[in-house]
Amino acid sequence: MNEVVKILVIEKSYIIREGLKALLSQMGLAFRMDEADCIKDSFQKLLEKYEPQVVIANQLQLSEKWHGNRNSTAFTGLIIIGIVHSIPDENQTSHFDFTLNVMNSKSALTNDFQDIFVKIGLVSEENDSETISEREADVLRLVALGLTNNEIAERLFISVHTVMTHRKNITRKLGIKTVSGLTVYAILNKLVESGELKGGRKE
Amino acid sequence: MLIHKDMKMADVIHLNHHLLHVINRFGIQLGFGEKSVKQVCELHQVPLPFFLEIVNTFHDSTYFPVESMLQFKASELIEYLHQTHQYYLDFRIPEIENYIRRLTNDNSFDEEIKVLLLDFFRQYTHELTIHINKEEQRVYPYVLALEHYLQDNKLEKELVEQLKAYSIHEYEEDHDDVESKLFDLKNILIKYIPQPKDSRILNLILHEIFELEKDLNNHAHIEDLILVPIVEKMEQDFLTISNQDKTL
Repeated sequence: MNEVVKILVIEKSYIIREGLKALLSQMGLAFRMDEADCIKDSFQKLLEKYEPQVVIANQLQLSEKWHGNRNSTAFTGLIIIGIVHSIPDENQTSHFDFTLNVMNSKSALTNDFQDIFVKIGLVSEENDSETISEREADVLRLVALGLTNNEIAERLFISVHTVMTHRKNITRKLGIKTVSGLTVYAILNKLVESGELKGGRKE
Repeated sequence: MLIHKDMKMADVIHLNHHLLHVINRFGIQLGFGEKSVKQVCELHQVPLPFFLEIVNTFHDSTYFPVESMLQFKASELIEYLHQTHQYYLDFRIPEIENYIRRLTNDNSFDEEIKVLLLDFFRQYTHELTIHINKEEQRVYPYVLALEHYLQDNKLEKELVEQLKAYSIHEYEEDHDDVESKLFDLKNILIKYIPQPKDSRILNLILHEIFELEKDLNNHAHIEDLILVPIVEKMEQDFLTISNQDKTL
């Protein structure tokens, strides 16, 4: 949800880079975009420098300086989107996960981006407004009371791992990260009485 | 559109009034007349390239400082960062706290919730203050000592030992923790506060928090993108010099 996605754009054209930035900023995605004119040295070095999750690269730039195998571990988890200017030849774009035709209209490009981001799980199709489940409310209550993950697991007869999953989901749904923030939420929603709080544990 | 030296300072404010308090940190106040950015900077003896970089990084969050930033004096930068800290602690934070206190004035707002918010905000302020103090008491003096040493080239064994024991990388990590609480506070106000009869003061609080957050992000941005590279370069120079001098 609120994590910033690191995107690296490798494209010589300033106008295309700015255009991509403008499009991306309309996607409802928190992102940071780094830019490179071209691949000076090797693609791997650029990856090490910027550590992107998504690379959007000019098709020509990447084919020339492409060293190594798309399946190699250096590219694990990396999404590579190729910038093309026409309907591409399959052979030239096999190392891309997706292609983006920059000659397309704004609405077509927006749709393409949307599709890509949904497919790779960066944007979710359903909205994020789901409320917390009863079990999550139980966990939240105990978090607010100052219990540790271990104590919560013991109390609810679940594994610590499950507690952590619940906490992750609570934070994602509510948009509240800190224990004191969750405590305020719990009091406002009457999951706990402020009298119950020991006021001991602070992060 | 970026800010450049020949613009009228008045037009800079018309373009982006959020820059006013940034400009204040250089000791520059309102009443610019027809003077250009360059003229105003000269009048206040503010180095023009430095002023432009700072103002532009604030003005456009995607703006990346030019490479000449490595020429900036660390002491100038630290003076700016220090002024920023003062602005948070003396002005912005107390202002938000005042607004939170005012919440119950119209009797439509539950006293208990006010206390809850005030408490949470104070925890945040406490953490922010700790973070700021760490920079003011530990990081900035280190950077200034380093700069001083490189300028004067006076070798005091004690200082050299101290400089060797510390590195700017030690402090790069921890900007995140303070941010989370402010982030939480925004969502609590936007999503979870029981609806008051009149949310005007809540709106103001929220507005202030967004402003503070933007300012803090810019502050961290300047530290990471300008201060850290400058200090890294000084650390390298320092190592080269102190290694050459075997007497140390």
